[in-house]
Amino acid sequence: MQKFFSNKKAIAIFVLPSLILFIVVVFYPLIQIFIKSFYEWNGLSKGTFIALENYTRLFEDSTFETSIKNGLIFATFLTIYQIGLGTILAFAASNIKTKTGGFFRIVYFLPVVLSVTVVCQLWLSVFNAEYGLLNKLFEILGIDFSQDWLSDRNNAIFVVAFVNAWQYLGYQFALILAGIKSIPTHYYEAAQIDGASPLQAHLKITIPMLAETYRFCLVLAITGGLNAFTQMFIMTNGGPGTSTYTLTYMMYSSAFRAGEYGYGMASASFLVIQCLIATIVINKLIARERIVY
Amino acid sequence: MKFRQLTALFIVVVIIAFTAIGCTSPGTEESNAPKENVHKEGNQEEVITLKIYAQYSDDDTRIPYDYAVEQLKDAYPNVKLELDIQAQDDGQKLQIYAATGNLPDIFQVGTSQIKTLKESDNILVLDDYVKSTGFDKKIHPSAENLLWNQDGHAYAFPYAGNELVLLYYNKAIFEEHGVKVPETYEDLKEAVVKFKEVDIIPLSIFAKEKWITTALYDVFATRLEAGGIKKLDEGKGSAKEKSYVEAANRLHELVKLGLLADGATNMNYDQAASLFYEGKAAMFINGQWEIQASTEKLGENVDWMFYPVFSEKPEAKYAFAGGAASGGYAVSPYSEHKDLAAEVAAFMSEKYCEAKYLYRANPLLALKIDPSLEPIEKFPPMMEKLANELPNIKSTTAFAWGLTEPKFKVAIEDQSQFLLTPGYTPEEFIEELEKTVERLKK
Repeated sequence: MQKFFSNKKAIAIFVLPSLILFIVVVFYPLIQIFIKSFYEWNGLSKGTFIALENYTRLFEDSTFETSIKNGLIFATFLTIYQIGLGTILAFAASNIKTKTGGFFRIVYFLPVVLSVTVVCQLWLSVFNAEYGLLNKLFEILGIDFSQDWLSDRNNAIFVVAFVNAWQYLGYQFALILAGIKSIPTHYYEAAQIDGASPLQAHLKITIPMLAETYRFCLVLAITGGLNAFTQMFIMTNGGPGTSTYTLTYMMYSSAFRAGEYGYGMASASFLVIQCLIATIVINKLIARERIVY
Repeated sequence: MKFRQLTALFIVVVIIAFTAIGCTSPGTEESNAPKENVHKEGNQEEVITLKIYAQYSDDDTRIPYDYAVEQLKDAYPNVKLELDIQAQDDGQKLQIYAATGNLPDIFQVGTSQIKTLKESDNILVLDDYVKSTGFDKKIHPSAENLLWNQDGHAYAFPYAGNELVLLYYNKAIFEEHGVKVPETYEDLKEAVVKFKEVDIIPLSIFAKEKWITTALYDVFATRLEAGGIKKLDEGKGSAKEKSYVEAANRLHELVKLGLLADGATNMNYDQAASLFYEGKAAMFINGQWEIQASTEKLGENVDWMFYPVFSEKPEAKYAFAGGAASGGYAVSPYSEHKDLAAEVAAFMSEKYCEAKYLYRANPLLALKIDPSLEPIEKFPPMMEKLANELPNIKSTTAFAWGLTEPKFKVAIEDQSQFLLTPGYTPEEFIEELEKTVERLKK
């Protein structure tokens, strides 16, 4: 093994295929996004260099403001719902020692493997203002809380974020549960001998030991929220109006609907930078040092 | 343990086998079959396969396409069409085909796509073919503007004529509740209030689709400005003009009074249409192609009304929203058989019109129909009424897909949908629309 790692040629040969693939599929398009964002381009012809005009237009565009705000709402919602609820469910599932623990693990993970379209159609039926299950439920219970869930410019983004959060909760749950399972049990035994309650044990042992898992979960939730697209594409078409636009949807709308690829690339560049900053900040602030007891 | 390993091995083999079968291209299957691009025995004529990218999703598109293909077999026995069904995606797939050099030989194209494709030399100029195929002799004089682009060239063979936005209403519901069929804006307002009182949705609209929200706003805009949204699309006016501001104000006023169903902006065609067919909604907005479906569902109880006029301009009765779009069958300049493709495109367009006339009770077509042809079924009364009123119509505008400027199209689609929500103000609508109009003028 030692000999293999000292052989630079062997390393290069094995790394090269994936490196080429990464450059062609990820790096090159990423560079192109930044280059094309300085052009007025319809996606087919050569395009005209317009320097920073697309970027200055972005900051004057109210849709851009809405998109940024929605991205942040989406990311915050996912973080609170998925990591918060995922932690509680993972703690609960890790404490179940019987076979039912396995049942819950499957149930919580089930929505993750469902098609996004199926999940969106399911929730569209639930949130339908005329015949939806939710409004009917309020009606049956005599609660005057029926809403125009997906047609309200202020609420629609929360509903869409909820659908995404609900579907991918199981993924975060599985990550956290795997993290919990990797903590040696003798820490808990020691805590029990010292008289710690289960809650204290989780607060003092589990959560600090899960710091690295949480860091990964946070990166997933925040970047997933910032670049959300599929749910609004299926459920609202970005509407009503532009109220459920995110930067990704804005890029899609500018490039594919309006034929303004250059402008779309400018919003995509902004999204890339935003996700990059979020990832760097999370990595800098969370789990900087590995905790070892 | 061994059993598990065997099971795992079996599953892996099955997956690999299915993947291999799934990855097999249709071409592999055909490789053993006799090639069609060979000389036929007997007539010694080469069979040429042309790729065509066309709509084929509902009766209104499937029936004309199938009819045209059948006719093609007789007229061009050496031509075989390979259909690629058009995606409802604002032309994205077509754009990708163009960007990757994979344009089909013949493709259906909309007005705004023509602009992008001609800028990048991805659409064949059909001027010569218009003459050589005699298409210029067959086109209705009123549809000539559909054939010739603003730059004076022909890029597509059109088939659809001046299609219109119609306001359908359920006569039985109006009679049952003693509501007058609205002729003025005030009548319409009164009708909305009365229907709301008896828990009937005044107007059903599938506002999840943004072209219909654009059409509804256009109906209101044409009350004071006959050019409607088309005038703004052409960069000739300002969204701050009284006609557009008043249209936004009045439409929004009705929305606040309860014109639409709850969640209308998230309703698709099936949901909105069923509200109308089931008698839960008094009115319904759609193109004139809805006539057949509504007649089938509601029989004599359905009719269309003239758009209610504003008191300031009662003569706007014959100003209609909708209109023709200079789209149709276009040809790729990179087609191996572009001359033949252009001929076939013209033929398809002609037969498409024929089928719409014969089987879809639609006389609003771009081409003249052979007078010897009779529709298979008699036109529904609503179509008869429309056909009688056609000569009186003074102006039309454009459907969203007929707008020439894609940037304006996106803005009006998004903003008109927004306007149908009570929380959005007409001032916001006008301000956002004006920003786009101003940008396009620069």
